[in-house]
Amino acid sequence: MNIRLWIYFFKSALANILNNRLIHLISMGTITISMLLFGAFMLLSMNLNSWLKQWGESLSMSVYLKDGIDEKARKEVESAIKKFKGAEIKGFISNEQAMKNLKEGLGEQAGLLEGLEDIILPESYEIVFKDRIDNSFDPKEIKSSLEKMKGVNEVQYSQQWIERFEGIMEMFRVVGIAIGGLLCMAVLFIVSNTIKLTIYSRRDEIEIYKLMGATDWFVKVPFLIEGAAQGMLSGIAALMILVLCYSVISIKTIDVLGLPVINIAFLSIHSCIFIVLLSLFLGLLGGFISIGRFFKA
Amino acid sequence: MIQLFKVFKSYGTNKALDDINLRMRKGEFVFITGPSGAGKTTLLRIIFGTARPTSGQILIDGINLSRINRLNMDLLRRKIGFVFQDFKLINSKTIFQNVSLALEVAGERSAVIRKKTHQALRAVGLAGKESAFPLELSGGEQQRVAIARAIINEPMLLIADEPTGNLDPEITKEIMILFRSVNLRGTTLVIATHNRELLKDTGQRIIALDKGRVIEERMG
Repeated sequence: MNIRLWIYFFKSALANILNNRLIHLISMGTITISMLLFGAFMLLSMNLNSWLKQWGESLSMSVYLKDGIDEKARKEVESAIKKFKGAEIKGFISNEQAMKNLKEGLGEQAGLLEGLEDIILPESYEIVFKDRIDNSFDPKEIKSSLEKMKGVNEVQYSQQWIERFEGIMEMFRVVGIAIGGLLCMAVLFIVSNTIKLTIYSRRDEIEIYKLMGATDWFVKVPFLIEGAAQGMLSGIAALMILVLCYSVISIKTIDVLGLPVINIAFLSIHSCIFIVLLSLFLGLLGGFISIGRFFKA
Repeated sequence: MIQLFKVFKSYGTNKALDDINLRMRKGEFVFITGPSGAGKTTLLRIIFGTARPTSGQILIDGINLSRINRLNMDLLRRKIGFVFQDFKLINSKTIFQNVSLALEVAGERSAVIRKKTHQALRAVGLAGKESAFPLELSGGEQQRVAIARAIINEPMLLIADEPTGNLDPEITKEIMILFRSVNLRGTTLVIATHNRELLKDTGQRIIALDKGRVIEERMG
């Protein structure tokens, strides 16, 4: 196909968009919202994954000792811990230190502990494992072997929380794929119906084109361009809104249960291109479906 | 140029064409006449390929229309000009755009399109009306726009369905002279009309239809 023909196709598509601007604006607004939801979901999923990865890189373990444990048993636990590859004891938390930490943690609500000074919080060892990448590393095994020792009451490690979180993330991923799929279907439905409306408003014109000897593609291409343009412009608009929302949210410090949350990162350039290309593809496919149906009919 | 063998066309139980056998030579000027409902428009539509016969074969320039694929049908239509009874103009496009359509679909260059469109509009007496829209013109002028569009790409075959139906006698005469000049350049012409005045002293072949059958063939 020559350039002259493509210029004609683009001009024809543009003229059609302008002639049916209200329908196109409504359609593009709806697609933008769908793609915005899609982008927001991608952003959230990407950040949660990145936080999870960061937290997962260093594993900490708390070994709670039994009440009234003697020095000998404590030393046995300590030496057992040191035998584990990559284990480093970051500190020993005594009963007093545990209470102090709890008070500090509660901050202004420390008054709640008034009169409860007699409660004895368990002593514990705080351990950090550095060589987590090693495949032989199994926190569950360490936990169960330590818990078998007579001086150990309970062992807790951050991985347990991460594993639970990973489970939630897996569910989040599945829900994400389902929602993403539904949003894509919605976009397809919207685009194909908008194009269908413009096709039907121009069906007499299409008939005349065919009578003049226009090939099917000569008639189809401007509608496909129309769908693709609709999708692409909506994708760009959705990204722009997402950038705007991100710039408003990212400058605020988000506080969850008193813990400062890690910085929110924006989508990578590849993800942004993916969103625009996906919306362009959906627009093109929507156009394809409706024009195909029209020609079949 | 045109050959029809045992062509039948029915709409339900209604026979529109009944056993039509015709042969039109290249460069011939043929009138199809008959009363309303005789089958004139159906015959033209079957020749143009917009209607399929119930049975029978149609050959246009050696091409069998019952065996032609969609793309080749499109390409064949570019060689055939058709003046429709209802003009079939696009109201949202200017006269210039309507006439140039036939060249645009063929992928002709812009300069050629401009030149030929002006020539065609001049030939039908519509120079200066390029930027008007169809609904701003009278019925006769719209008819002439349809004729300009049909002759613009110098077709091998020109089919016209009641082309002078909306024209006054003077314009009718001019249009017939125009058709004659198109015919003299080698284009085969098939014109359906029920206008008896038009058939007088033409010196052309006249095929009369009635109830879907050829009832008479004579020279005018």
